[in-house]
Amino acid sequence: MILRQIMRVVHPLRPVTLQKNILAGINGSDSYSTEIKDSVPQEEPTKKNISKAMKAYLERAKEHEDFMQKQREEFQIGKRHLANMMGEDPETFTQDDIDHAIEYLFPSGLYEKKARPLMKPPEEVFPQRKAAEFDESGRPYHFLFYTGKPNYYQVLHDISHHLIELNKFEDSMIRKKIQPDPNLALDLSGYQWIDKESLEEKLVETIGDKDYEYFINCFVRLTAVPYAYKIKDFIFEYTEPLLNQVQTYDAVKPHIDSDGKQFITVYECPRKAARGDVTIRFPGTGKITINNQGITYFEDVQSREQLLFPLIFTDMLNKVDIECNVSGGGPSGQAGALRWGIAWGLRSFVDQDIIEKMRIAGLLTKDYRTRERKKPGQWGARRKFTWKKR
Amino acid sequence: MLKRISKTSFINLRSICLSASHRQQQLEQENAPKKLREEVLLHPDYFKVHNLFTVKDLFDARVHFGHRDGSLDERMLPYIYGSRLGHIIFDLDKTAEYLRKALNVTAHIAYRDGVIIFFQRGAQNAYLVEKTAKECGEFAHTRFWRGGIFTNATKQFGCVTRLPDLCIFFNTLNNVLIQHTAVRDAAKMLIATIGIVDSNCNPNLITYPVPGNDDSPASMELYCKLFKAAIFRGKEKRKEHIEQNIYLV
Repeated sequence: MILRQIMRVVHPLRPVTLQKNILAGINGSDSYSTEIKDSVPQEEPTKKNISKAMKAYLERAKEHEDFMQKQREEFQIGKRHLANMMGEDPETFTQDDIDHAIEYLFPSGLYEKKARPLMKPPEEVFPQRKAAEFDESGRPYHFLFYTGKPNYYQVLHDISHHLIELNKFEDSMIRKKIQPDPNLALDLSGYQWIDKESLEEKLVETIGDKDYEYFINCFVRLTAVPYAYKIKDFIFEYTEPLLNQVQTYDAVKPHIDSDGKQFITVYECPRKAARGDVTIRFPGTGKITINNQGITYFEDVQSREQLLFPLIFTDMLNKVDIECNVSGGGPSGQAGALRWGIAWGLRSFVDQDIIEKMRIAGLLTKDYRTRERKKPGQWGARRKFTWKKR
Repeated sequence: MLKRISKTSFINLRSICLSASHRQQQLEQENAPKKLREEVLLHPDYFKVHNLFTVKDLFDARVHFGHRDGSLDERMLPYIYGSRLGHIIFDLDKTAEYLRKALNVTAHIAYRDGVIIFFQRGAQNAYLVEKTAKECGEFAHTRFWRGGIFTNATKQFGCVTRLPDLCIFFNTLNNVLIQHTAVRDAAKMLIATIGIVDSNCNPNLITYPVPGNDDSPASMELYCKLFKAAIFRGKEKRKEHIEQNIYLV
């Protein structure tokens, strides 16, 4: 409608005809003005105009709200039923209680947790809807709304903004003959750009592979600028630490026993079917006790080596006393269990660098592999019976 | 220059007319808003966009430079002055006329709270255009055009969406050969378009073509400045009229 009215806008380039029209309007001969009166519908100035887009959004929002209200009521009723079934007070029945009840009433052996039966408030089950991106008149809020990916292109816009600002700054510094401080230079080692999935999550938009590539290229270009450290905060918003999964647990502080010696006990050291616990005393003389026997508890050399390896590695041999109890499994499993327990306990007596070396050497990693069961119809876990076609 | 003089004399005439209409408004108080609308719409240049620039400004911003004459689109012939050293030169008097017409429409759309979107392909000037759009409180699209943003908007945005009321193209070509798809889509959806058309462009689908250089940063800055000023004039007037309670939708 705006267009149609604007089409009537007088062209500034045709002065003569226009003058005539204006004069005609003033003189009251009025053919032109009456024509406008007919064609343009009169509306009250106080009436609030709501665009079609907003109307449709409001309708959808109401529908969604009704649906959610219904779901919420159903959830409340279900919760009360469940509490009654479990013989508990429905008023104080919490979400944890619901989870336990569901697990008890509908036991499921499915591996995938998402596939198991669940009962959760509808807000958690149904995805959140996007709020309206435009006001009552239908005018979008974001200036890049019509690109379809406003948040993504906003980031690109910000990058070019920073690039231009930094270039200006660099020029001014060159004019003043000042070099960028090499100590402040942006160091991105140990960081990587956030991956596509987290970027999508951050932007709440789906982006293509090419878009992601473009995004990375833009950031690489931005970080190459000498004064990039000035916008560190902006850049680090889109990076993540490279070693985020490397997280060694803090070593426990050793206890003091009645003799004034430090000691640490590691319980439940697993390897294959063996389970053991290890006590390390510091300072010591290198005495090793396994189930009240010496290192000769293990008859083969390999198992003994296994046991001593963490001590040799950390150079703690003959500096600590070790007492172990171990049961289950065979010699190699028992030796492996004790090896892990000794390594885990030694962390309390060595410094951070050695702990990091132990981690890299794999001493702090539990070995969860266990024997695979035999299958019927075959010889073992994997091996089949000998079979000849004819 | 001759044309400009004739226009100024016309402005004097108009001010006489305005004062006449003023007197009449005082007589008919209850019809004031309606009269105002007529005045705004009938006025040849209500927002006075003609004083935003002079032909000299255009010349200084190198708007008269076209592309090489080998790439001339024949539909641009009416707007060109000639060719110099193998390059097309635009007739800036004509450009000024068309640009004023375009600025006038822009100001009117802004006055009616229309949605205005800026288009520009090419990395060189994209940031400038986006910045201008942001400052105006309007919209920009300087990226790859996914087909269907206008023609299939409900699907693309997932809901009923208000489309722009005016598209302003700072260049109408994607690259040297292909026209921006949004020109065609806007024509399909009956959205008015303003386009800076260079000597190798096709002005036929543009509602308000403005012949001129579409890639040098100097001219791009001038266009951005002018359209921004026109939009601000429209919006200011709108605010003023809403405050006085005489704005009528």
